[in-house]
Amino acid sequence: MRKNESNMKNRSLAGKLSNESYLNRVMFLVLITLFAIASMTIKNYFSTATALNLVANNWYIVILGVGVTFLLVSGHLDMSVGGIVAMAGVLSAYFCQPANEGFSELGQGLGMPYGVAILLTLLCCLVIGALNALFIAKMRVASIIVTLGTMSIARGIGQVAALGAQRSAGLPDIFGVIGNVPLFGPIKIAAAIAALLVIAALFIEKKTSFGRRTYLIGANREAARLSGVKVERHIALLYLLSSLLAGITGILLASEMKAGISTRGSGFEFSALVVTLLGGASIDGGVGSVLGMVIGAMILGVVSSAAYGMLLRPEWQFILKAIVTFLAIIAQRYLLDRRNK
Amino acid sequence: MSSNCESTISRGYKAKRIIKEIYAYVILVVVVAVLSMLKGELFQRGNFLFPANVANLLRMSVPILMISSAFTLIFITGNMDLSVGSILSLTTVVNAILVLNGFSFLVSLIIVVALGVLLGTINGFLVMKLRITPVIATLITMNAYQGLARYLVPPGISSITNTETQKMPEWMGFFSKGQVFMGLSWAFIVAIVLLIALVILQKKTVFGKYLVAAGGNRTAAELSGINVVKVVWGVYILLGAVSALAGVARASYLLIGEPYTGVGAETEAIIACLLGGTVFSGGEGSVVKSFVGALIIVCLTFGLKSVIPEYWQLLAKGAVLVFAVVLNHLLSKERIAS
Repeated sequence: MRKNESNMKNRSLAGKLSNESYLNRVMFLVLITLFAIASMTIKNYFSTATALNLVANNWYIVILGVGVTFLLVSGHLDMSVGGIVAMAGVLSAYFCQPANEGFSELGQGLGMPYGVAILLTLLCCLVIGALNALFIAKMRVASIIVTLGTMSIARGIGQVAALGAQRSAGLPDIFGVIGNVPLFGPIKIAAAIAALLVIAALFIEKKTSFGRRTYLIGANREAARLSGVKVERHIALLYLLSSLLAGITGILLASEMKAGISTRGSGFEFSALVVTLLGGASIDGGVGSVLGMVIGAMILGVVSSAAYGMLLRPEWQFILKAIVTFLAIIAQRYLLDRRNK
Repeated sequence: MSSNCESTISRGYKAKRIIKEIYAYVILVVVVAVLSMLKGELFQRGNFLFPANVANLLRMSVPILMISSAFTLIFITGNMDLSVGSILSLTTVVNAILVLNGFSFLVSLIIVVALGVLLGTINGFLVMKLRITPVIATLITMNAYQGLARYLVPPGISSITNTETQKMPEWMGFFSKGQVFMGLSWAFIVAIVLLIALVILQKKTVFGKYLVAAGGNRTAAELSGINVVKVVWGVYILLGAVSALAGVARASYLLIGEPYTGVGAETEAIIACLLGGTVFSGGEGSVVKSFVGALIIVCLTFGLKSVIPEYWQLLAKGAVLVFAVVLNHLLSKERIAS
């Protein structure tokens, strides 16, 4: 009898909540629980500084995650974002370094005004995105293979432009501004940009036909095509969007450090994928949400800062990320299976 | 009229088939020819094709040759394994630790290959039993294994190497560097034996037919009584073991346990398979041609290193991958058309 009752309760709940909001709530609970556990076990973890640092240290993953989430929802991967972050950082520095002043080759740039440099950098990032789009949307090559290639190309361009090192000499003062405008505490303007992007992405995801088409393509590409969605153009747009967001991230990060570093952003592609998966997205397409991704980013942030607080060796970050992702995938599938039985 | 048309089609088809058969070899010949015309500083006596030079190149590239040949099988089944590079890193480190602690060559080899089998089993379990998408599952294990490899190296040092109390034994480098036959090493001979074994496995055994069936149409394969889960899981285990063997060769070549040595190996294996004409959606591929593809990459990486600065490597690798994708796409598209 009692079991029956709870079953009915579940059913009525299932009528009210979509799978997506259900998962989002569960993951939010997980986030709170993890934060509580970390606060109880680690000295001085529970403080405003920790909460602020969570935002300050994870905004770039959120920006990258927006593009990756849309792609994953449509059933595609993007491993090139980390490479584009490195490339954008180095190129933005290279373009606005003084043209004829540097003593060394690494101080020698193109001497453009910063605004032009940013635009040109974003254009270069869009070229990488266009490469992805051409091969994946048009020629229908597996996205993992193509984006592994463009990842190498983007990071490779960064390394060549930085001669295998970093470009920081002779940068104009304005280069270090946009990444370092303080809002409050450790939070800088970049976090606000990330927040704005998330709000825009939420709007696009929920309220525009563009967003809903993305889900349709992911759920059933053929059905989407037959119902008049221009699938190829749509996927191409998503890849361009993702590369543009990665470019913005790269420019902001370079500005924050006031240097274009060619090794920057290694592993970002995995982190962006991890937070998206933590948010309940599935590579099989049609499932996932930007809100879930943000929660996922917070979970990952709590886990890494807790590992840091427990004085674990930095190598643990790799392993923890892998374990957390694995657990999230398994747990989410179990929950949904049980719920939709 | 119609018969005329047919014969043109079949002639065109035949020509394309021949192109498909030989283009990997042609690229290799072209690459070697171009490199031998360049006078690189690193080449001994200024020529790429100088025998000692070639032998050195082959001794150096054993791990990538091994992994690429075995990687073909996973491509044929229509799956993906991104963790091979991390398995290579991890087994290199473990092998170095074992040898440094006094284990003999054979014992450490057996332990390391057993470890590779275990790692491959985990991959297979995630993909086939838990049904996590291959790319995601092996990305997860890739990071886990890489983290483990780094974790095994004590803090403060960058790789497993001689300490004040422990020294690598003299024979450590023999497997990969000792010249046993025409300047070639035991490791290279093992790679050739492995290649032959894989060819036999693919062409002459039922298992090889199952691979193609599983990659071509999984449902059809299952309906005709093939246990696809076991077959693909087996390939993951095989790939894990081969990557571990490659790790032994790499450790013996480097004489240290370098935890980042396998980074990018999965990309190289993918390039090799694509250059060899393997269809990445499954069902088609040749181990020998992937081996040739791996030779192309090895020549390119080594050749480029001697002509242009090291930091061009990554860009070149990406460009070659894109080139391989285009080539692969063009040829397979023509196959569908005819």
